[in-house]
Amino acid sequence: MPIEQANGLKLHTQHLSTPSPDGQRRPQVVMLHGLVIDNLSSWYYTIANPVAQVADVHLVDLRGHGRSEMPKTGYTVEDNVDDVVALLDLWGITEPVHLFGNSFGGVVSLALAHRHPERVASLFLIEAHFAVEGWGEHMAGSLALAAFGLDEDAVQDWLAENADRKLSRLAKRSERFLTETTLIDDLQAEQPIGWLPEIACPTYAMYGAETDIMDRALELQAKVPGCELEIVPDCSHSLLTEQGGLIRDRALTWLDRVT
Amino acid sequence: MPETVTPERVLAQLEEMLVEVIGDDLLLDGPLTMETSFDQDLQLESIEFVALSEKLLETYGEQVDFVGWLAEMELDDIIALTVGQLVEFVATNASASGA
Repeated sequence: MPIEQANGLKLHTQHLSTPSPDGQRRPQVVMLHGLVIDNLSSWYYTIANPVAQVADVHLVDLRGHGRSEMPKTGYTVEDNVDDVVALLDLWGITEPVHLFGNSFGGVVSLALAHRHPERVASLFLIEAHFAVEGWGEHMAGSLALAAFGLDEDAVQDWLAENADRKLSRLAKRSERFLTETTLIDDLQAEQPIGWLPEIACPTYAMYGAETDIMDRALELQAKVPGCELEIVPDCSHSLLTEQGGLIRDRALTWLDRVT
Repeated sequence: MPETVTPERVLAQLEEMLVEVIGDDLLLDGPLTMETSFDQDLQLESIEFVALSEKLLETYGEQVDFVGWLAEMELDDIIALTVGQLVEFVATNASASGA
Protein backbone atom coordinates (compact mmCIF):
# COMPACT_ATOMS: atom_id res chain seq x y z
CA MET A 1 0.00 0.00 0.00
CA PRO A 2 2.40 2.65 -1.19
CA ILE A 3 -0.14 5.42 -1.80
CA GLU A 4 -2.36 6.16 1.17
CA GLN A 5 -5.16 8.67 1.64
CA ALA A 6 -4.62 10.85 4.73
CA ASN A 7 -5.60 14.40 5.65
CA GLY A 8 -7.31 14.74 2.27
CA LEU A 9 -4.18 13.90 0.27
CA LYS A 10 -2.64 10.94 -1.49
CA LEU A 11 0.64 10.32 0.31
CA HIS A 12 3.36 7.87 -0.72
CA THR A 13 4.69 5.76 2.13
CA GLN A 14 6.89 2.71 2.54
CA HIS A 15 6.89 0.25 5.41
CA LEU A 16 9.89 -1.89 6.28
CA SER A 17 9.94 -4.52 8.98
CA THR A 18 11.28 -7.95 9.84
CA PRO A 19 9.55 -10.56 11.97
CA SER A 20 10.14 -10.10 15.67
CA PRO A 21 11.86 -13.24 17.06
CA ASP A 22 9.78 -13.29 20.25
CA GLY A 23 6.54 -12.16 18.61
CA GLN A 24 6.57 -8.92 20.63
CA ARG A 25 5.45 -5.70 18.96
CA ARG A 26 8.45 -3.74 17.82
CA PRO A 27 9.24 -0.07 18.38
CA GLN A 28 7.57 2.12 15.75
CA VAL A 29 9.92 4.45 13.85
CA VAL A 30 8.76 7.18 11.44
CA MET A 31 11.35 8.86 9.21
CA LEU A 32 10.80 12.32 7.69
CA HIS A 33 12.98 13.80 4.94
CA GLY A 34 14.20 17.26 3.85
CA LEU A 35 12.87 19.86 1.40
CA VAL A 36 12.05 19.90 -2.33
CA ILE A 37 14.75 17.74 -3.93
CA ASP A 38 14.63 15.27 -1.04
CA ASN A 39 12.15 12.44 -0.45
CA LEU A 40 11.89 9.19 1.45
CA SER A 41 14.56 7.55 -0.71
CA SER A 42 17.35 9.28 1.25
CA TRP A 43 16.29 7.24 4.31
CA TYR A 44 15.44 4.18 2.25
CA TYR A 45 18.97 3.87 0.86
CA THR A 46 20.80 4.69 4.10
CA ILE A 47 19.47 3.52 7.44
CA ALA A 48 15.87 2.37 6.93
CA ASN A 49 16.77 -1.24 6.22
CA PRO A 50 19.22 -1.68 9.13
CA VAL A 51 16.78 -0.02 11.52
CA ALA A 52 14.01 -2.31 10.22
CA GLN A 53 15.93 -5.24 11.74
CA VAL A 54 14.94 -3.99 15.20
CA ALA A 55 11.87 -1.80 14.59
CA ASP A 56 8.91 -1.27 12.26
CA VAL A 57 10.03 1.56 9.98
CA HIS A 58 7.52 3.86 8.30
CA LEU A 59 8.79 6.21 5.57
CA VAL A 60 6.72 9.13 4.34
CA ASP A 61 6.98 11.32 1.25
CA LEU A 62 5.84 14.64 2.74
CA ARG A 63 3.20 16.52 0.71
CA GLY A 64 4.60 17.84 -2.58
CA HIS A 65 7.60 15.51 -2.40
CA GLY A 66 8.58 12.21 -4.00
CA ARG A 67 5.52 10.31 -5.17
CA SER A 68 3.06 12.10 -2.92
CA GLU A 69 0.40 14.50 -4.17
CA MET A 70 1.46 18.13 -4.66
CA PRO A 71 -1.42 20.40 -3.61
CA LYS A 72 -1.16 24.08 -4.55
CA THR A 73 -1.22 25.22 -0.94
CA GLY A 74 -0.61 24.07 2.60
CA TYR A 75 3.13 23.77 3.15
CA THR A 76 3.53 25.09 6.67
CA VAL A 77 5.25 22.96 9.28
CA GLU A 78 1.86 22.52 10.93
CA ASP A 79 0.29 21.20 7.70
CA ASN A 80 3.03 18.58 7.56
CA VAL A 81 2.48 17.68 11.22
CA ASP A 82 -1.23 17.17 10.47
CA ASP A 83 -0.36 14.84 7.58
CA VAL A 84 1.92 12.67 9.70
CA VAL A 85 -0.60 12.46 12.55
CA ALA A 86 -3.30 11.48 10.05
CA LEU A 87 -1.02 8.71 8.78
CA LEU A 88 -0.35 7.45 12.32
CA ASP A 89 -4.12 7.30 12.86
CA LEU A 90 -4.58 5.52 9.54
CA TRP A 91 -1.94 2.94 10.48
CA GLY A 92 -3.54 2.44 13.90
CA ILE A 93 -0.35 3.38 15.71
CA THR A 94 -1.45 4.64 19.10
CA GLU A 95 1.73 4.14 21.10
CA PRO A 96 4.40 6.87 21.06
CA VAL A 97 6.68 6.63 18.02
CA HIS A 98 10.35 7.37 17.52
CA LEU A 99 10.60 10.21 15.02
CA PHE A 100 13.66 10.49 12.79
CA GLY A 101 13.90 13.84 11.02
CA ASN A 102 16.39 15.05 8.42
CA SER A 103 16.67 18.84 7.88
CA PHE A 104 13.09 20.08 7.28
CA GLY A 105 11.89 16.69 8.53
CA GLY A 106 13.60 17.65 11.77
CA VAL A 107 11.42 20.68 12.36
CA VAL A 108 8.31 18.69 11.48
CA SER A 109 9.42 16.11 14.07
CA LEU A 110 10.04 18.77 16.70
CA ALA A 111 6.67 20.42 16.03
CA LEU A 112 4.86 17.08 16.23
CA ALA A 113 6.56 16.30 19.55
CA HIS A 114 5.51 19.70 20.84
CA ARG A 115 1.88 19.57 19.70
CA HIS A 116 1.27 15.88 20.33
CA PRO A 117 3.69 14.88 23.11
CA GLU A 118 1.66 11.75 23.81
CA ARG A 119 2.47 10.42 20.33
CA VAL A 120 6.25 10.80 20.40
CA ALA A 121 8.65 8.58 22.37
CA SER A 122 11.91 10.14 21.18
CA LEU A 123 13.49 12.37 18.54
CA PHE A 124 16.52 11.48 16.43
CA LEU A 125 17.42 14.56 14.39
CA ILE A 126 19.91 15.00 11.55
CA GLU A 127 20.71 18.60 10.63
CA ALA A 128 17.35 19.72 11.99
CA HIS A 129 16.20 23.04 10.63
CA PHE A 130 13.81 25.56 12.10
CA ALA A 131 12.90 29.23 12.01
CA VAL A 132 14.95 31.42 14.32
CA GLU A 133 14.74 35.02 15.52
CA GLY A 134 14.77 37.56 12.67
CA TRP A 135 13.54 34.95 10.23
CA GLY A 136 10.71 36.96 8.68
CA GLU A 137 12.30 40.39 8.79
CA HIS A 138 15.08 40.12 6.29
CA MET A 139 13.86 37.29 4.23
CA ALA A 140 13.26 37.77 0.52
CA GLY A 141 11.10 35.06 -0.99
CA SER A 142 13.81 32.84 -2.39
CA LEU A 143 15.82 33.07 0.80
CA ALA A 144 13.15 31.17 2.63
CA LEU A 145 14.63 28.06 1.11
CA ALA A 146 18.15 28.94 2.16
CA ALA A 147 16.90 29.39 5.67
CA PHE A 148 15.57 25.86 5.58
CA GLY A 149 18.90 24.47 4.46
CA LEU A 150 18.28 24.58 0.78
CA ASP A 151 20.43 27.35 -0.58
CA GLU A 152 18.94 28.85 -3.73
CA ASP A 153 22.26 28.63 -5.56
CA ALA A 154 22.43 24.97 -4.66
CA VAL A 155 18.97 24.42 -6.08
CA GLN A 156 19.83 26.34 -9.25
CA ASP A 157 23.12 24.45 -9.65
CA TRP A 158 21.33 21.21 -9.11
CA LEU A 159 18.63 22.07 -11.62
CA ALA A 160 21.22 23.18 -14.20
CA GLU A 161 23.23 20.03 -13.69
CA ASN A 162 20.14 17.96 -14.35
CA ALA A 163 18.77 20.15 -17.14
CA ASP A 164 20.43 18.14 -19.91
CA ARG A 165 18.65 15.08 -18.73
CA LYS A 166 15.65 15.12 -21.01
CA LEU A 167 13.67 12.94 -18.73
CA SER A 168 14.74 14.47 -15.45
CA ARG A 169 11.40 14.12 -13.79
CA LEU A 170 12.68 15.17 -10.39
CA ALA A 171 14.09 18.42 -11.79
CA LYS A 172 10.79 19.25 -13.48
CA ARG A 173 8.86 18.32 -10.42
CA SER A 174 11.09 20.45 -8.17
CA GLU A 175 10.70 23.45 -10.43
CA ARG A 176 6.94 23.04 -10.40
CA PHE A 177 7.04 22.73 -6.60
CA LEU A 178 8.94 26.02 -6.26
CA THR A 179 6.96 28.02 -8.82
CA GLU A 180 3.41 26.68 -8.72
CA THR A 181 2.75 26.11 -5.03
CA THR A 182 2.72 28.31 -1.93
CA LEU A 183 5.75 26.47 -0.51
CA ILE A 184 8.05 29.51 -0.37
CA ASP A 185 5.34 31.83 0.96
CA ASP A 186 4.38 29.30 3.59
CA LEU A 187 7.94 28.82 4.78
CA GLN A 188 8.56 32.54 4.79
CA ALA A 189 5.60 32.99 7.10
CA GLU A 190 6.94 30.53 9.68
CA GLN A 191 7.47 32.15 13.05
CA PRO A 192 10.55 31.49 15.18
CA ILE A 193 9.78 28.65 17.54
CA GLY A 194 9.77 29.60 21.18
CA TRP A 195 8.71 26.27 22.60
CA LEU A 196 11.91 24.24 22.41
CA PRO A 197 12.14 24.13 26.24
CA GLU A 198 8.75 22.36 26.24
CA ILE A 199 10.00 19.33 24.30
CA ALA A 200 9.54 16.51 26.79
CA CYS A 201 10.96 13.43 25.06
CA PRO A 202 14.59 12.23 24.80
CA THR A 203 16.30 13.96 21.87
CA TYR A 204 19.50 13.17 19.97
CA ALA A 205 20.74 15.69 17.41
CA MET A 206 23.54 15.32 14.87
CA TYR A 207 25.07 18.05 12.72
CA GLY A 208 28.06 18.23 10.37
CA ALA A 209 30.90 20.42 11.62
CA GLU A 210 30.83 22.34 8.32
CA THR A 211 27.06 22.87 8.36
CA ASP A 212 25.72 26.32 7.58
CA ILE A 213 23.20 26.05 10.40
CA MET A 214 25.39 25.47 13.43
CA ASP A 215 23.31 28.09 15.24
CA ARG A 216 20.37 25.64 15.19
CA ALA A 217 22.55 22.90 16.64
CA LEU A 218 23.59 25.10 19.53
CA GLU A 219 20.06 26.34 20.09
CA LEU A 220 18.72 22.81 20.31
CA GLN A 221 21.40 21.85 22.78
CA ALA A 222 20.76 24.96 24.86
CA LYS A 223 16.97 24.83 24.89
CA VAL A 224 15.68 21.28 24.46
CA PRO A 225 15.86 19.66 27.90
CA GLY A 226 18.45 16.88 27.96
CA CYS A 227 19.17 17.18 24.23
CA GLU A 228 22.34 15.31 23.29
CA LEU A 229 24.28 16.96 20.48
CA GLU A 230 26.91 15.30 18.32
CA ILE A 231 28.98 17.29 15.84
CA VAL A 232 30.49 15.12 13.09
CA PRO A 233 33.84 16.44 11.81
CA ASP A 234 34.37 17.25 8.11
CA CYS A 235 30.69 16.95 7.20
CA SER A 236 28.19 19.38 5.71
CA HIS A 237 24.42 19.73 5.82
CA SER A 238 24.25 16.55 3.70
CA LEU A 239 25.28 14.55 6.73
CA LEU A 240 22.81 11.71 6.14
CA THR A 241 24.20 10.77 2.73
CA GLU A 242 27.81 11.61 3.65
CA GLN A 243 27.85 9.45 6.78
CA GLY A 244 25.18 6.79 6.32
CA GLY A 245 27.19 4.17 8.22
CA LEU A 246 27.87 6.36 11.23
CA ILE A 247 24.26 7.49 11.43
CA ARG A 248 23.06 3.91 11.19
CA ASP A 249 25.24 2.99 14.18
CA ARG A 250 24.05 6.00 16.18
CA ALA A 251 20.41 5.28 15.32
CA LEU A 252 20.63 1.66 16.46
CA THR A 253 22.39 2.66 19.69
CA TRP A 254 19.78 5.36 20.26
CA LEU A 255 16.84 2.99 19.78
CA ASP A 256 18.48 0.50 22.12
CA ARG A 257 18.70 3.22 24.78
CA VAL A 258 15.20 4.65 24.46
CA THR A 259 13.19 1.45 23.99
CA MET B 1 3.56 -26.11 -11.06
CA PRO B 2 5.71 -22.98 -10.72
CA GLU B 3 6.68 -21.18 -13.89
CA THR B 4 10.34 -21.22 -14.77
CA VAL B 5 11.93 -17.86 -14.05
CA THR B 6 14.06 -17.31 -17.11
CA PRO B 7 16.06 -14.10 -17.62
CA GLU B 8 13.93 -13.35 -20.69
CA ARG B 9 10.77 -13.58 -18.66
CA VAL B 10 12.19 -11.40 -15.87
CA LEU B 11 13.27 -8.81 -18.44
CA ALA B 12 9.75 -8.67 -19.87
CA GLN B 13 8.20 -8.37 -16.41
CA LEU B 14 10.70 -5.69 -15.43
CA GLU B 15 9.75 -3.67 -18.49
CA GLU B 16 6.09 -3.82 -17.47
CA MET B 17 6.93 -2.72 -13.93
CA LEU B 18 9.06 0.19 -15.13
CA VAL B 19 6.29 1.40 -17.42
CA GLU B 20 3.98 1.39 -14.41
CA VAL B 21 6.50 3.38 -12.35
CA ILE B 22 7.68 5.89 -14.96
CA GLY B 23 5.03 5.84 -17.66
CA ASP B 24 5.22 5.16 -21.38
CA ASP B 25 8.16 7.58 -21.72
CA LEU B 26 10.29 4.63 -20.74
CA LEU B 27 10.06 3.13 -24.20
CA LEU B 28 10.78 6.29 -26.21
CA ASP B 29 14.36 5.21 -26.78
CA GLY B 30 13.54 1.62 -27.62
CA PRO B 31 12.86 -1.55 -25.66
CA LEU B 32 14.57 -2.46 -22.43
CA THR B 33 17.71 -4.58 -22.86
CA MET B 34 20.15 -6.25 -20.49
CA GLU B 35 22.63 -3.44 -21.17
CA THR B 36 20.21 -0.63 -20.29
CA SER B 37 21.49 1.31 -17.28
CA PHE B 38 19.04 2.61 -14.73
CA ASP B 39 20.82 5.91 -14.32
CA GLN B 40 22.35 6.82 -17.68
CA ASP B 41 19.70 5.36 -20.00
CA LEU B 42 16.49 5.38 -18.00
CA GLN B 43 17.45 8.27 -15.72
CA LEU B 44 15.55 6.53 -13.01
CA GLU B 45 15.18 8.78 -10.00
CA SER B 46 15.95 7.31 -6.62
CA ILE B 47 12.33 7.57 -5.53
CA GLU B 48 11.30 5.64 -8.65
CA PHE B 49 13.78 2.97 -7.70
CA VAL B 50 11.96 2.68 -4.38
CA ALA B 51 8.68 2.19 -6.25
CA LEU B 52 10.35 -0.45 -8.43
CA SER B 53 11.59 -2.26 -5.30
CA GLU B 54 8.04 -2.49 -4.10
CA LYS B 55 6.83 -3.95 -7.41
CA LEU B 56 9.62 -6.52 -7.36
CA LEU B 57 8.52 -7.55 -3.88
CA GLU B 58 4.90 -7.84 -5.01
CA THR B 59 5.88 -9.89 -8.05
CA TYR B 60 8.55 -12.24 -6.72
CA GLY B 61 7.95 -12.29 -2.97
CA GLU B 62 10.39 -12.00 -0.12
CA GLN B 63 12.72 -14.72 -1.40
CA VAL B 64 14.02 -12.14 -3.84
CA ASP B 65 15.39 -9.78 -1.21
CA PHE B 66 15.96 -6.78 -3.42
CA VAL B 67 16.10 -4.27 -0.55
CA GLY B 68 18.62 -6.43 1.32
CA TRP B 69 20.68 -6.75 -1.87
CA LEU B 70 20.69 -2.97 -2.32
CA ALA B 71 21.57 -2.47 1.34
CA GLU B 72 24.88 -4.24 0.71
CA MET B 73 25.81 -1.80 -2.06
CA GLU B 74 27.31 1.64 -1.96
CA LEU B 75 25.22 4.42 -3.47
CA ASP B 76 27.57 4.59 -6.48
CA ASP B 77 27.04 0.89 -7.18
CA ILE B 78 23.28 1.33 -7.06
CA ILE B 79 23.47 4.27 -9.45
CA ALA B 80 25.62 2.26 -11.89
CA LEU B 81 23.29 -0.78 -11.91
CA THR B 82 22.24 -2.24 -15.25
CA VAL B 83 19.01 -3.99 -16.06
CA GLY B 84 21.06 -7.13 -16.74
CA GLN B 85 22.48 -7.19 -13.19
CA LEU B 86 19.02 -6.89 -11.70
CA VAL B 87 17.55 -9.52 -14.04
CA GLU B 88 20.35 -11.92 -13.12
CA PHE B 89 19.80 -11.32 -9.41
CA VAL B 90 16.05 -11.91 -9.69
CA ALA B 91 16.35 -14.97 -11.95
CA THR B 92 18.95 -16.60 -9.69
CA ASN B 93 17.08 -16.03 -6.45
CA ALA B 94 13.58 -16.68 -7.78
CA SER B 95 14.77 -19.99 -9.31
CA ALA B 96 16.58 -21.00 -6.12
CA SER B 97 13.42 -20.49 -4.10
CA GLY B 98 11.15 -22.09 -6.69
CA ALA B 99 9.13 -18.89 -7.06
